[in-house]
Amino acid sequence: MTGLRCLATLLVALVPIAQSRQASDRHVPFVDVTAKSKIDFVHKSGASREKYMVETFGSGVAWIDYDNDGFPDLYFVNGAPGAANVLYHNNRDGTFTDVTQKAGVAANANPKSYKTGVAVGDYNNDGYLDLYVTAFGPNILYRNNGDGTFTDVTAAAGVAGGPTEWSTSTGFFDFDRDGYLDLYVVNYLDYRLDDNPYCGYRKEGYRMYCNPTMFDGTADRLFHNNGDGTFTDVSLKAGIANPAGKGLGVTFCDFDRDGYTDIYVANDLVRNFLYRNNGDGTFTDVAYGAGVGFDPNGKPRAGMGVDCADFNGDGLPDLFVTNFSEELNALYQNRGDGTFEEVSEKAGLGSSFLPLGFGTKMFDFDNDGDLDIYVTNGHVIDNIKLYRPDFSYAQKDLLYENIGGRFRDVSAASGPALQIDRVGRGLAVGDFDNDGNLDVVISSVGRPPVLLRNQGVPGRSWIMIRAQGTKSNAFGLGAKVTVETAGGRQVREINNVASYLSSNDVRVHFGLGDAKRIQRIEVLWPSGTRQVLNDVAVNQILVIKEP
Amino acid sequence: MGWKGGTVVAAFALVATMGSVSFAAPQADTGQASIQARLKRVGVDLFSGADRVHESIRELKAVLAVDPRSAEAHFLLGIAYGKLGSAELMGEATAEFRQALSLNPSFVQARYYLAQLYLNLGRAQRAREELDAALVQVPGHPQFLALLGEAERHLGHPQRSIELNQQALQVDPSFAQARYYSGLAMLDLGRRDEAIRELERVAQSGPALPEVYLSLGSAYLDAGRVDEALDALLRGNRIDPARADIRIRLARAYRSKGLLDEAEEQLKLAESAGSPRLASFVFEQMESDLYLEQGLVNMQRGRLDAAADAFKKVLDRDTNNGPANRFIAEVYLRRGLYTLALAHATRAEQLGFPLPEALRKQLQEKLHSKETRPRK
Repeated sequence: MTGLRCLATLLVALVPIAQSRQASDRHVPFVDVTAKSKIDFVHKSGASREKYMVETFGSGVAWIDYDNDGFPDLYFVNGAPGAANVLYHNNRDGTFTDVTQKAGVAANANPKSYKTGVAVGDYNNDGYLDLYVTAFGPNILYRNNGDGTFTDVTAAAGVAGGPTEWSTSTGFFDFDRDGYLDLYVVNYLDYRLDDNPYCGYRKEGYRMYCNPTMFDGTADRLFHNNGDGTFTDVSLKAGIANPAGKGLGVTFCDFDRDGYTDIYVANDLVRNFLYRNNGDGTFTDVAYGAGVGFDPNGKPRAGMGVDCADFNGDGLPDLFVTNFSEELNALYQNRGDGTFEEVSEKAGLGSSFLPLGFGTKMFDFDNDGDLDIYVTNGHVIDNIKLYRPDFSYAQKDLLYENIGGRFRDVSAASGPALQIDRVGRGLAVGDFDNDGNLDVVISSVGRPPVLLRNQGVPGRSWIMIRAQGTKSNAFGLGAKVTVETAGGRQVREINNVASYLSSNDVRVHFGLGDAKRIQRIEVLWPSGTRQVLNDVAVNQILVIKEP
Repeated sequence: MGWKGGTVVAAFALVATMGSVSFAAPQADTGQASIQARLKRVGVDLFSGADRVHESIRELKAVLAVDPRSAEAHFLLGIAYGKLGSAELMGEATAEFRQALSLNPSFVQARYYLAQLYLNLGRAQRAREELDAALVQVPGHPQFLALLGEAERHLGHPQRSIELNQQALQVDPSFAQARYYSGLAMLDLGRRDEAIRELERVAQSGPALPEVYLSLGSAYLDAGRVDEALDALLRGNRIDPARADIRIRLARAYRSKGLLDEAEEQLKLAESAGSPRLASFVFEQMESDLYLEQGLVNMQRGRLDAAADAFKKVLDRDTNNGPANRFIAEVYLRRGLYTLALAHATRAEQLGFPLPEALRKQLQEKLHSKETRPRK
């Protein structure tokens, strides 16, 4: 078999499945295991009578296997100034232990800073995942020391951003394919606490958070990794410093399949940006031509969370954006010619019209071989009921099952965890128990988070791949992975940057339906190296090392 | 009740004094040349008042699909969004102007329109910053001076506004925009007769903008010149029938003449009208004005319950609305609800809107007789 040639260059590790699957109800995929997992984090928003906008936008959450034990750990960002972020170690038995103090990642030293988003990536290629925390205030880069501790290297690395910038979602990616992860930081509004207008009725209890239209946007930042522990802000040179943006979400995919990773930014009440990577260190915003900036009537929507992945199995990454209430969440189908078609309604996503969507992820929750969609919702105006009695601050999540490229809203039939109202913001997907079923963690404004364990569907196969770059970045972010079984072919990019303010498992997951073997796995690394494995076993976590 | 004109900044087109927007010289390649030609066509459409805004937007987006870094296309798109008059596109219009400026920081026309937008968003300080920056590039330019004057008025400096507009008028004594802003500043300073004279001159010779007639009509109303107010407001209404604020003033004028059916008709039309170029706080103010006028019309008709309901809607939005407190106090007094009347009258007085002496006396007497009435 030809795969043997490749296998010789591979380090293939089989990680035993930690827990045997329990018999599960087909329609109750997710079970709330927050209490059982001993996660006691509570988000503090800093909510005040002044209604500072930053209070209501929440904070993110990240899956990060910081100690390389093969089990993703959890990092929660906390909003209010002085409130500590929390890192939980995954005890591999379904429980977690707070290790924040030892790790040194509380990020609460700045008494004025509201922490917002988080990125996970190995920027120095030492094999350990690092953390980048964004804020309304200076951002922080934590280098993972490899011994369970982190060091704040922000100043040396030069990635703090502006001292008063409101940064939101963020992510690592290698835009110039030099093997080092660069850093994209989304910025939201040009907002100051001491210039906070009164919005809403002038009546006790009616003050509301202001509309972003009242404020200017702020340009995003792109930091190029110099490969020596420092970064250079190349935002202007790269062409992404657009002050028109009011960014909340970001994701990375190679939309035009030219080998260079592109950037999509979801903006709030301003058109979204699709930055095509020109391959020469510059980007061009092609949103107008691509048709991914506006709604079908040409109006900008309030974009929040975002993800890119191939929902219809044509091998091309599509785009999904969560939007404000009374706006549909947007599913843009990649036509493969540089343009996209919005298919939200056609694809069956109409039930997203009323909720206000934030964190989201396209992933195969039922391991049937196609990508489903999870959305967490929650309004931004905490007293919305006073103005719109039919709306509420806390809202239910949405779960869409992909059935042949169309989606069915299965939220109501998906068990009690999806019937709970929450002020959903961050959402991250990862397989914390390594059972092959992707789990979901969701952060809520001013409330505890929720960890939803995916019970899986008995008899369905899967594979999870942990890429290990050698010439490429250490975790293979940006690699394209194609998996072929008797049931078909699936293409994914390794990209943990999606959702809202959050960071997902760095391993790429494929549901394989009833496949018994994988005929072929192809990895196209960011370095350009193409690697093929043949006849691979299903139901394993496979470490693939770049040759 | 006094009214400060200009909640929506009059859309004086910059090209009136600066000539057509200067586009970058066509490049050697035909693609770029054709883009410039397309932009020129759209520019002509937008500035000539042709009713082709949607077509212009489509064309500009098509141009930006080819050349996303065209500052001129972003600028024109900002203008086009502004012309649509949709509150939800104000953010996008601002974004387009800002992107145009980031691509070409010396694009002084973009600063002018951006400043105008900021004023409509209630962000006079940002407008001032843009205009100050622009005036470094075009020192003494009358239109920038005038708009800066208007920004100063919004910032609470009407005298400074008059000075700046006088500078603009020294350059061009026929400059209607500066005269209009001067008139508004004079109103703010309580110089109503002078203001009316200035606004009349603008209405006679300046561009036919609804804001001019709204301001003039409102000033006439405050001066008790109701027939002239009606005439001015009807002119403004003919120019832009969708303007709810003009219809609310019209209702007030009709009510002042005792034409309550006409007043009610205008209020109904105002309720169904849009909210062009209004930031939420301006829209909320207009809603309050609408309900207040509804209350006053109902009061005049003797429909006290309906009047109270309308005033309550105003107070729902702002418990410290002086006129609403004053008039609801009167309604409660007429309905025999003296304790409630007293509470609102006291509040109104604190806010500078006391009940007239006769009503105050009447309320005191009623309360006194209620207190001294022997209990059964």
